[in-house]
Amino acid sequence: MKKIIVACGGAVATSTVAASAIKDLCKANQIPVEIIQILMSEIESNLDGVDLIVTTMRIKKDFGKPYVNGMAFLSGVNKETTEEQILSYLK
Amino acid sequence: METILYCVQYFVDLGAAVMLPIVIFIVAMCLGQSFGKALKSGISIGIGFIGIGLVIGLMLNNLAPAAKAMSANFGISMNIIDLGWPGSSPMTWASSIALVAIPVAIAVNILMLVLKLTRVVNIDIWNIWHFAFTGAIINIATGSYTLGILGVALHAAYAYKIGDWFAPVTEKYFSLKGIAMPHGTTGWFAPIAVPVDLILNRIPIIKDININLESFEKHFGSLGDPAIMGTIMGIIIGILAGYDVRGVLTLGIQMAAVIILMPQVVKHIMSGLLPVSETARTVLQKHFKNSTFYIGLDCALLLGDPAVVAASLLFIPITIFIAAIVPGNQILPFGDLPTIGFFIAMAVGVHGGNLFRTLITGSIVMFMTIWISNQMIGLHTVLAANAGQLTSSVSQVASLDQGGSPVTYILTQIMNTTNVGGLALIGIFYGACVVCTYFWHKKQLTAMAQEAELRLENK
Repeated sequence: MKKIIVACGGAVATSTVAASAIKDLCKANQIPVEIIQILMSEIESNLDGVDLIVTTMRIKKDFGKPYVNGMAFLSGVNKETTEEQILSYLK
Repeated sequence: METILYCVQYFVDLGAAVMLPIVIFIVAMCLGQSFGKALKSGISIGIGFIGIGLVIGLMLNNLAPAAKAMSANFGISMNIIDLGWPGSSPMTWASSIALVAIPVAIAVNILMLVLKLTRVVNIDIWNIWHFAFTGAIINIATGSYTLGILGVALHAAYAYKIGDWFAPVTEKYFSLKGIAMPHGTTGWFAPIAVPVDLILNRIPIIKDININLESFEKHFGSLGDPAIMGTIMGIIIGILAGYDVRGVLTLGIQMAAVIILMPQVVKHIMSGLLPVSETARTVLQKHFKNSTFYIGLDCALLLGDPAVVAASLLFIPITIFIAAIVPGNQILPFGDLPTIGFFIAMAVGVHGGNLFRTLITGSIVMFMTIWISNQMIGLHTVLAANAGQLTSSVSQVASLDQGGSPVTYILTQIMNTTNVGGLALIGIFYGACVVCTYFWHKKQLTAMAQEAELRLENK
């Protein structure tokens, strides 16, 4: 089971879009995942056992875990590249 | 005929938590979703409504009496709780105007794109709730559904213009190319940062002040964790309310629960709206797809910037302090505190990351927001009651986001004037900021065109 943090500014709107897309992506690739959808300010205290961090916004901070920017799930631009990146960390 | 009316009335009387799932299920089926997915979307939105009802109940039943006791002890009047956007957005989605607001806002967008009045293709369907809030409040204030829809259209049109005006900031400071933020919160406040910046640039000494707080987040970042912040708020209010140790600690944990659970339940409403928002996005992007358009996205994308993070942390105590000094304020800021960054994010960009200037703009913004949300308590409470979110008939509610929006306030007061002084004051101040922004934007466009020309020449 892979653990993914999906974070955004409000933990509601943009992170739900990204989380739902990642859930579908992992299902299609038969990777069992647990998604933690939180506020950006909560990432720090939820890092235990996390395999990947995805945020919809640009962050400049390094949390010491694999990181992918998930803005493509909102804009639809370069979505395939982002999906490949995510899969590369989970496989 | 009577049978039809009876059926419609029966349907509406089912309440938002039952009616909206049915509506969303039908809409999702019409948009070509599978039966299972459509059903799940519908139920999900219902789960969100039931959930937010429980959490608001927990908040009003526990925090409201504490705020009242605290106010009585200190002779202040901060006894109405700010539900924040996690509280006010579900109420808006439950209003009769919300689902109509989505097609209206999209239609206004398409019309403006065709007439070349905007370059923003707004695919951020969730935040249409801001425009819908304005519409719902106008509907309650005037009793007219048509005026409510007009309010949605006007607010949407204004938000798209804001997206255009601040797209250069989004690109330059936040490095988000081709993206605009036609957002209800950061959008409306951004114009205030422009005159502040222009004025400060003319004052010697002050114009050179720049505070940089790179290390700030490292030391105080954990206080920005909503669970810790909620606990601290609860404990402080409990102490000020004169509770015993047990009462104080209980309130601390209850408030942490409220602040953590609110977005957790509201996200189910967003999940339910996904089929609608995905379809809208695909259709809009298919028809308006080239580099002359900006993609309109949620300004939550700006909240990761370090200066925005630092300012968000600072504005938690500052907002509470401002609430204490706004004349006649009855509102205790709470629900919006963890995401206070929405109020100042674009100001950070306009000020180029200068925290000193952001503090000035932000203080003006919060003062105005808190004053306006006080004026909106009555209408906001009706909106909450209509959505079935009030636990007892005597309680009142408020929100900074979106109850404190000058756009909502000005439009509502124009259509149903109850406070001429307030309308004039806010209208003139905000109007001046917008005019200033318009010319500032023109100037920026010229500067950018010149830059582009120079680059060409150098090649």
